[in-house]
Order: sequence, then structure tokens, then C-alpha cells
Amino acid sequence: MYYVRWLMILWIVCSAFVQPLIYSSNNGLVIFRSEAPFELINASSKELKGALDLSKNNFAFRIRIRSFEGFNSPLQKEHFNENYMESEKFPEAVFNGKIIETIDYSKKGKYSIRAKGKLIIHGVEQERIIKSDLEVTEKGIRIISQFSVLLSDHAIPIPRVVKEKLANEINVSINAELYAK
Amino acid sequence: MLKKICFAFFASCTCLYLQAQDIDLNQMLEEEQKKEEKDKIRYTEATFKSTRIINGHSVEVTQKGIMDFRIAHRFGTVNGGLYDLFGLDNASMRMSFDFGLTPRLMVGVGRSTFQKQYDVFFKYKLLRQSSGKRTMPVSLAVMSSAMVQTMKLTDTSRPNYFSSRMYYAHQVIVARKFSENTSIQLMPTLVHYNLVKLAGDPNDVIAIGIGGRQKISPRVSINAEYYYQVPGYKMPNTANSFSIGVDIETGGHVFQLHFTNSRGMTERTFISETAGKWSNGDILFGFNISRVFTLKKNRKK
Repeated sequence: MYYVRWLMILWIVCSAFVQPLIYSSNNGLVIFRSEAPFELINASSKELKGALDLSKNNFAFRIRIRSFEGFNSPLQKEHFNENYMESEKFPEAVFNGKIIETIDYSKKGKYSIRAKGKLIIHGVEQERIIKSDLEVTEKGIRIISQFSVLLSDHAIPIPRVVKEKLANEINVSINAELYAK
Repeated sequence: MLKKICFAFFASCTCLYLQAQDIDLNQMLEEEQKKEEKDKIRYTEATFKSTRIINGHSVEVTQKGIMDFRIAHRFGTVNGGLYDLFGLDNASMRMSFDFGLTPRLMVGVGRSTFQKQYDVFFKYKLLRQSSGKRTMPVSLAVMSSAMVQTMKLTDTSRPNYFSSRMYYAHQVIVARKFSENTSIQLMPTLVHYNLVKLAGDPNDVIAIGIGGRQKISPRVSINAEYYYQVPGYKMPNTANSFSIGVDIETGGHVFQLHFTNSRGMTERTFISETAGKWSNGDILFGFNISRVFTLKKNRKK
């Protein structure tokens, strides 16, 4: 019986130990910008969800498309959701994968990293390697990144009448602070 | 016995270890999101592309700070044949300006060449279809309009009052977006005449309208609309209005092309004074063009 008790303690310790160290965020910032000859469009969302598994260097990010605000008019927002992103069919954009570099998360400081994974926007998956800055701070982990998304990569057509008003290359920037769960 | 227990513990321990390692971050976030969605109210947007289905109002209101300039044309009946180029020789039009005052309230003024009418109206969205924390199955709007016709007086021998030229229409619009592509609405309507032509004509016409749209692509939809005048409250010698057409949306424009048996474009003239019948070929081709202008810029934080 003595062994059983001892094993139980071991089991609890063991399970506590293997619990992966997950950092996550609920309110990261995403900004996107389209710079076309005749029109500049800006929109942002503070609903970026992110999670980072320190033990495996895995990550996942997720954003609800309808949470984007800004735009030049309410009608433009409606068209963004109805005609371009088809938010009813594809309510979210997702990026998940693995960080290529190995990082010593116990040391504070800035790291330049490459995140490799699947970027799914408008239901179309693209394999991407995105350069980012990762900063280990006292409170948590900050991730800052800037990259571009081509509408043509994600099967979002630009009608000819708005060709001068909507850029194919959309600049996206991300700023999220992840905390231990 | 003890060895067996030992083994079981170790087995479960390794099992747990593997399970913990295989945690799917993406799935974790998805579940979190689903939980949050339940606490949020999600309002249904874009039940219709435009504030009109064809002749009559849809449940939509012009968005706040937006001016909607609308031009509507109805040509003559297609059964006029080649002599009238299938109706294209005769056109009547309505020009109007609609304004979105608040997210729920819009007002508009219009002028029709048909019977030289001026009209004003307001539409207020009382209920918004929603899901999530609060579920509302339908959107509901109320619309009231006043119309005045300014034709020259035909009989100057009797006393004529300005109020005799006025007409009113009141509508309750109940709509539901059933899916991304399909929306249907019902609109019970009361049209009031201050003065009618004959003593036997009703001063109040009651009609029940039904309208709907079916999207066939993100930017194109097919719309139809029918107003049934309730017997007993029906204007004699008139037909019920039926219209069918397409909406095409490009940027800030909505083009609506349609066939209808109504010549007028105000509530009184199409609900209670439609003369032509589809069965006789009294069908008119028409179009509405809507162009929106942003009056108040969205201030960015």
C-alpha cells in the first residue's frame, strides 16, 4: 500500500511537470492597409487570439473577420464582409505552425524569428514563413510582425471597377502580448 | 498485485504525458472563441442590398452619415410593341435623396414625374435580427410616407383644398434573413386618401406585401415583390402590383433592373393604383440607380 501512495505522488508531480507551458492572448491588435492609387483603406481589430506552446515552439493565431472596424464608410465594411471576405462562409483567418528558431524563453530580450505555418484566409490555405520580432519581457511574450497578404493568393478577386481603389497587396501588422495561462 | 497497480499507474502517466504534448493550440483558441461568441450579440447585416426591394421599401435603412441619391425610371408597357419601342418611348421617373440620420433612422424626399408628386418619408428600424447572447428571429422597421400630387385642378368650380391632394402610407416591415442568400419580408400597409374620386371608393386601402431576394453571386441577387390589396379595402378597378428584377452591386452603386406592372413609384401609386395586369402584357421595364455619398467621415481613433 505504501508504494501505491508513493506512486500517486509521483503521478501528480509527473502530470504537473508535463503540463505544457502555454502563453496566450485574447486582445492582440491587427491592422491592415490597402494602398491603391485612388483610395486608402485602413481597418483594425483588437480581437486577435494567439497561443504559444513554449515546450514545442508551436503557435496559433486566430482573428474573427467581422471584428475589423475602421474603413472609409459603413458600406465599405459591409462590402468587405459580404463580397470580399465572405465572412459568413469564412468567419475567421488562422495562422498556425512552428517557430523555426529555438529560443531560450528564460532569457529576457528581443529575438528575430521566423514563423512557419499555414495561413488560412478566405478559406484558402497558404504555406508561409513570416518574419517577426519576439520579445521576452517580465510579464510575458510580445510578438510584433509586419507582412503582406496578396488577395490573389487567397482567391479574393478584385472587380475591374474598383481596380484603382483596392490594392492586391494588403499590408498587415500585428502586435500581441501573450501571458502565461 | 502491487506490480499490476504499478504498471497501471505508469501506463496512465505516459498516456497523460502524450495527451498533454499533443495539445492543439488552434483547437484551443477555437473553443475559446466559441465560448465568447455565446456572450456576444451578433446582429444580422445586409438583409437586402438596398433600402428598396423594387418599388417598395425593404427593411434596410441608409447607414448613418450617408446620403443616398436615387434615380428610378419606369418605361411604358412592353405590349405597346415596336411602335413605342416596347415602352422605351414613354418614361416616367422619380428622383430622391435619402439620408441616414442615426444607425436606425432614415428620412428621404422625392419627386416623381408621374402625377407631379412630391413625397417625404421616414423609416425607423425597431428590431434587429440577431443571434448569440440575444436571439431575435426577425428585423422590424416602420415606415411612414406622405405624398402630394400637384397636377393642375380639373374642376375649379368646387372648393379645392390643399389637403385634398395629400395621401399617406404607413407600413410595418418584418424581415428575416434565412441564410446568407435568402431573405424574405412581409409588409402590411395602410394607404390613406384624404379625397377619393368616387363616393364609393375607400379612403383607406389595406394591403399585405411580400418581398424577397435570392442572391446568385456575392454581388447579384434576384428580387421579387407582391402587394395584395385586401378585398373590401381595395381600390376598385385596380390590379395588385407584382415586380421582379435583379440587383447588381458595384462599389458605391446599386443597379436594380426589373419588370413591373406599376407605373408609379410612390406607395399610393403602386400599391393601390396599379392599372396594368401582367396577364394583359401591361408590363413595364424599369431601373433604379442608387449612388451613396459619405457626408460624415468615420473618425479614426
